[in-house]
Amino acid sequence: MLSESPDVTAMPETFPSEDAGAHVAPAAAHRRRILIVEDDRETAAAVAAIVEELDCEPIVMRNLPDGVKAAGLARFPVIVLDRMLPGGDGVGAIAQIRAAGSTALILVLSALGTATKRVEGLERGADDYLAKPFEPDELRARLRALLRRDSMAVLDNDLMAFGDVEIRLRARTLHVRRAHVALSPKEFELVTFLARNAGQVVTRMQLLENVWNLHFDPQTNVVDVHVGRLRRKIETAAGRPVILTARGEGYVFQPVPPPEGEAR
Amino acid sequence: MNALRARASLRLAALIAGAVMVPSLAGLGIFYLRASEALHANQVALVEADLRGLAAIYDQRRIIALRQAIEFRAAANPAGGEAFILLAEDGTRLAGTLAAWPEGLPALEGAIAGPRIDRFAVDGAAYLGAARILPGGFALLVARPLASVEATLAGLRGLIVAVAAAMLAAGGALGWMAGRSVLGRIERVNALADRVAAGELDARLPGPRSRDEFGLLETHVHAMLDRIQNLNRATHHLSDSIAHELRTPLNRMAQRLARLHAPAPEVEALRSEMRGTIRIFDSLLAISRAEADAGQGPGLVPVDLSAVAAEVWELYEPVAEDKGLVPEAAIDPGLAVLGDRTLIAQALSNLIENAVKYCAAGDRLRLTLRAAGERQVLTVEDSGPGLPDDVREAAFDRFTRGARDRELPGHGLGLALVRAIAARHGARLSLPPRERGLAIEIAFPRLG
Repeated sequence: MLSESPDVTAMPETFPSEDAGAHVAPAAAHRRRILIVEDDRETAAAVAAIVEELDCEPIVMRNLPDGVKAAGLARFPVIVLDRMLPGGDGVGAIAQIRAAGSTALILVLSALGTATKRVEGLERGADDYLAKPFEPDELRARLRALLRRDSMAVLDNDLMAFGDVEIRLRARTLHVRRAHVALSPKEFELVTFLARNAGQVVTRMQLLENVWNLHFDPQTNVVDVHVGRLRRKIETAAGRPVILTARGEGYVFQPVPPPEGEAR
Repeated sequence: MNALRARASLRLAALIAGAVMVPSLAGLGIFYLRASEALHANQVALVEADLRGLAAIYDQRRIIALRQAIEFRAAANPAGGEAFILLAEDGTRLAGTLAAWPEGLPALEGAIAGPRIDRFAVDGAAYLGAARILPGGFALLVARPLASVEATLAGLRGLIVAVAAAMLAAGGALGWMAGRSVLGRIERVNALADRVAAGELDARLPGPRSRDEFGLLETHVHAMLDRIQNLNRATHHLSDSIAHELRTPLNRMAQRLARLHAPAPEVEALRSEMRGTIRIFDSLLAISRAEADAGQGPGLVPVDLSAVAAEVWELYEPVAEDKGLVPEAAIDPGLAVLGDRTLIAQALSNLIENAVKYCAAGDRLRLTLRAAGERQVLTVEDSGPGLPDDVREAAFDRFTRGARDRELPGHGLGLALVRAIAARHGARLSLPPRERGLAIEIAFPRLG
């Protein structure tokens, strides 16, 4: 089936087949694989580079049938899927990928970027939707969030504790140094989303999409204003900055000072 | 609309009933007249024959025999039958059933007059009589009552009325049925047009087309709808293609930009330009898409407008506060519309962002959502500078910007998108007059 595809030469050697899977070197076996289904070489290379940066192994497929087939052959934590591909619309194939048994989180990366298209993609099963042209930082942040979501086992779905910063999900409360910090419902959702991605950059667009469920690019600094308010509340209670600004990229929830000072 | 259709079907029924009845009634009328003429002619012939017979008796056997014959005939006739009267030259009544020469019947004069046919009445009964002067000056009148003729004609008239009534009923029923069948088929096409107007572009009439004018009409309407649908699809396809063909090279540029070792401010400036470009064509695509889908039901779902308004307001309220505006909202809860949440949120955020952009510290910003009859009315108003006079007319057109605002960022697409989104939802967009500032009102059709 795959050998009939004209794109077969573009297939990387590391393409996971049932045979190959058993022979992968132990070091590589621990590297998680991310499937990239993208027909544009330049974009595929850029996405692959970002995947490498995240210490994952990129597997690139250049058309939809190959991508769907690959998704069914191996376990990928995350799939990056284009929309207008040779062989069809990536979003239309999500159901097919799921039906084949894949549990991968799917990030649609598409030139169809209006708000309506984004919502359509999410409604049809995508876990995230990023419009082209994308900024590398944005894609990196989103892939990281998805990888984290994939690896995050449901440990205790009530308490999230980061040193002296404690978030109780059921009670919807935030305590810093055992003192309750009064938050509005949206502020609580904001801090929760930041905390779920603690230590990693979360972009403004991610916040707008996940906290406010809005899928368009506002012209004003709305997100900054909200994060600013939340940040001041927590900082007052903690006596130190907890939400840091990653210049030009977004925010990092850093309740405990990083061991190697890697915060930007 | 319904009353109009009902009137059309009634008119058609009356027309058909009339077309059937008028010639039939005219025919019956002519028949009646002919029958009446024939009956009268018959009576005339009879009285004339009688008169001739009696005159012959007089000629042969003189007055005595005539008197006897009249008396005999009178005795043989029951009351209400033939009537006779014979007068002497001096007016003396010699014989007959009548007591006197009927009033109103002119006396006969002259020597031997020919028979004269007259109508007259005696004691309320109508008679047709023939009179003449016999040689010797005797006046003789022979008359037959018209009662039987009148009764026959009355029977005929009754019959005609009954037939006319039956024809009226049958014609009316026929007209009504014909009207119903004709208008019913037009109604089908009308119902289809209504559905299409309501946005169901893929609506079609089920079943095969009949091989007549109605079938042809349906075929034409279908062809027209196919064409509209294809154009609509082409618009969608074109906007997708534009997005793809422009974004892909822009994406390559962005990726190369990321690898470029240029000074950070330069890179940031280029990125910001690219973001601006994307935003412009995203807005244009969103506008054309919303316009192409204007008023269409498919794709719209019940949306809690109150909740969306509250969410967007919550997002922007701090921004307005930070700018020193005085924000206030009055959102009636539980108001629902058939809509697209993302588009509604986008329209609302465009309106609020505009207000925040143009207002200065101390200005009021107010969002209201209330039900007004069949509409859910969303109003964003501020006490800012309002619309410049040079753009008031074209405020909602693409790329409209006031000369006053050239210094502020923007492309004049925000309100154009608001208009397209309002149209997508079948909502009315208006600028209610205000003493100061600007108010923009979107009146959504109420759900349900």
